[in-house]
Amino acid sequence: MIIYNPHNKKLLHERLKETENLLVQIRAKYCFITGSFLYKEKYKDIDVFVVTRTKKKIILKNKKVKITTIDFNDLYSLFYHSISKSCIAKNILPTKPLKVTLSDYWHIINEAIPTLLNEKDKFHKNVRFLVLYTEYFKTGEVLDTFQLNKKINYFKDYSEVMKYVKRELPNIINDYAKPSYIKRFFYTQAGYYKELKEYAAQSFLYELTHEVARGIAHG
Amino acid sequence: MVNQDEFKKRIEANISQDYKVEFLGKNFEQIVNLLTETKAEKIYQWIKDIVERKIEPISVGSKKTYKEWEVNELLTFRYPFSIGNTEYRILFVKVKNSVYIEFHLGDHKYYDKVRKDLDLKKSTY
Repeated sequence: MIIYNPHNKKLLHERLKETENLLVQIRAKYCFITGSFLYKEKYKDIDVFVVTRTKKKIILKNKKVKITTIDFNDLYSLFYHSISKSCIAKNILPTKPLKVTLSDYWHIINEAIPTLLNEKDKFHKNVRFLVLYTEYFKTGEVLDTFQLNKKINYFKDYSEVMKYVKRELPNIINDYAKPSYIKRFFYTQAGYYKELKEYAAQSFLYELTHEVARGIAHG
Repeated sequence: MVNQDEFKKRIEANISQDYKVEFLGKNFEQIVNLLTETKAEKIYQWIKDIVERKIEPISVGSKKTYKEWEVNELLTFRYPFSIGNTEYRILFVKVKNSVYIEFHLGDHKYYDKVRKDLDLKKSTY
């Protein structure tokens, strides 16, 4: 077993054994377990990830196990870089350079805001990508599952997440994108949101696009 | 256990439109059969809430073509639920200011495929 633990987080000894037992049952070279199961006693769900080309469904008898298969093309993603940063793996995991764009980030925001407003009580579950991407563009750091959980737990409710996006996004965009790109992309997006302003999420996204574009207009 | 014809009829009744919604998904019938009456009632209520504009849609400002529409002409409503340890998703697709066209029901793999088709998801993340 390979233990990836860059922050020397205290892992639960009995969970390491259980992790090993589960991973040896999976007939794939690259598989790993990450998340709260490794370090929180009360957390029983087990997030197993398998990097494979096979289309066959992988089944383990343990009902607490949730298996996610990852295609080799996804090794470039921020998601893979995050989940594989702190984990227990069967073998040394494959690595690929990170490829992430502002357009990917906007896709995340675009989907996360309506989801957040539809499921306000489950905001912790629904903002993982949003926070992961925001922190990456803000600090350049890829948060692992421990760091991401910690960051998400700072938010008391969904409205704090909305404020966080509103506060961080304009600066991030202005730091990363050229003014000509910002104008073209965000004014176009604003046009789509404008006709749906009766919906709270679309209205929020409209304001957000305007906030970004206004930042450019005012230098 | 819920009957798929009854399930479709209840959804059609809630949206009451002349255009025939397409019910799509891998293992659609088996998944509907696994629903309890309570879970099915929640889905019917969700449909009513969509019609009453209480649910937030996802819209994508993309010119990509999806069947006979551009993606930016569509609104997608998402409903996650689980049965046992398996997570399922419904994606209900509407043409802006017009009719509901598709009701997708499937597991995570199917959901990811439809998301890509609708340009809700990029290929790698």
